[in-house]
Amino acid sequence: MSQYLRRIAAVLLLLVVPLAAWAHHSFAIFDHSRTITLKGTVLSFQWTNPHGYLELDVAEGPEGIDHFTVELTSINMLRRAGWKSSDVHDGDEVTAVIAPLLNGEHGGLLLELKVPDGRTLVPPVPAITSFKRTP
Amino acid sequence: MRATKATRRALAGAAIAAFLTGMLAPAAADAQGRSPPDLTGSWERHRAPPGDPTNPPPEASPPLKPALLAEWQVRRAAAQAADARGEPIATGYTHCLPDGVPSMMSGPFPFEILQGATQLNITQEAYNQTRRIYFGRPQVTLDDIELGFYGHSVGEWQGDTLVVDTIGIKDYIRFRDAPHSPDMRITERFRLVTPDVLWDEITIEDPEVLEKPWTVTFAYRRMPDYSILEYVCEDNREYADENGIGRLRVTKPE
Repeated sequence: MSQYLRRIAAVLLLLVVPLAAWAHHSFAIFDHSRTITLKGTVLSFQWTNPHGYLELDVAEGPEGIDHFTVELTSINMLRRAGWKSSDVHDGDEVTAVIAPLLNGEHGGLLLELKVPDGRTLVPPVPAITSFKRTP
Repeated sequence: MRATKATRRALAGAAIAAFLTGMLAPAAADAQGRSPPDLTGSWERHRAPPGDPTNPPPEASPPLKPALLAEWQVRRAAAQAADARGEPIATGYTHCLPDGVPSMMSGPFPFEILQGATQLNITQEAYNQTRRIYFGRPQVTLDDIELGFYGHSVGEWQGDTLVVDTIGIKDYIRFRDAPHSPDMRITERFRLVTPDVLWDEITIEDPEVLEKPWTVTFAYRRMPDYSILEYVCEDNREYADENGIGRLRVTKPE
């Protein structure tokens, strides 16, 4: 991404930050300007607070990524949004849309998850539309 | 006389029953025979469309004394700039610390009120935080208690309004990042503005740091079918790096 686009994304983020400034959890560590899509196998689905985690062995995705740590919201928020710990099983083949960490490490925030039974699960990420989807 | 085991057990059972009866009995009627409203149940922040009369007034910034206000604004700007850089400044939440009084009343997680005749408990779902408000007791002094996350709260019903007085909040347990002195006093006025919308009008008095009392009101809606879930910081992968930046630990499990 060009420096120009990155700067625009930073300014946009600055505009939305005052609304979220007192939130429990800062989503500022995640890239709001692009998403990546990973297909792979679930190594573990961890139903814990303060966040749930999905450890993914990656089969298809950006070059150089073989494993990825996917953060979810608090499991209480997931549960209120209809998620269950049994929605995802170890060994499941899934497709995840993720806002990656800005620092380049192989981790990111889950925005959408396609599970083997065909459902697409969306976690209740606050201000989820502030994350720009890219191919 | 030595009590038998059975007698001791019966007495202990009776004592527990008496305690629970007192705690959970409906609040007593006042001199005019009116009972206070029942706030028991689950609640979450209520945000109605703009212009709806159940919305409280917009939140005001802390009316800090000029030098403190300038510092507060600098910290706010620094936090916003850090967020824009993708390097948020770590907070208590980074370390899974509960937020205490009055921040725990701001949501975004629901809370539960359990109202009795002698005590009212508020349990915030996030971090399993419980504050206890005692009725029919005088407020203590700071000499009687240690400073903490929730302080010491006493309450009384004034008609349909529950008035709660809280003192004893620890220095770094801050609401909206505003500094306070040990003498900070928080007065809350809880009242139902409709049968299912509750307001908590929170007034903070602290002449050492504030130019004038600071009032913020939160509105909540009843969640009739919701039972509060547990919340334990079982695996916190967030941490503050050597520069105080909040980070996420990313490692492949063994």
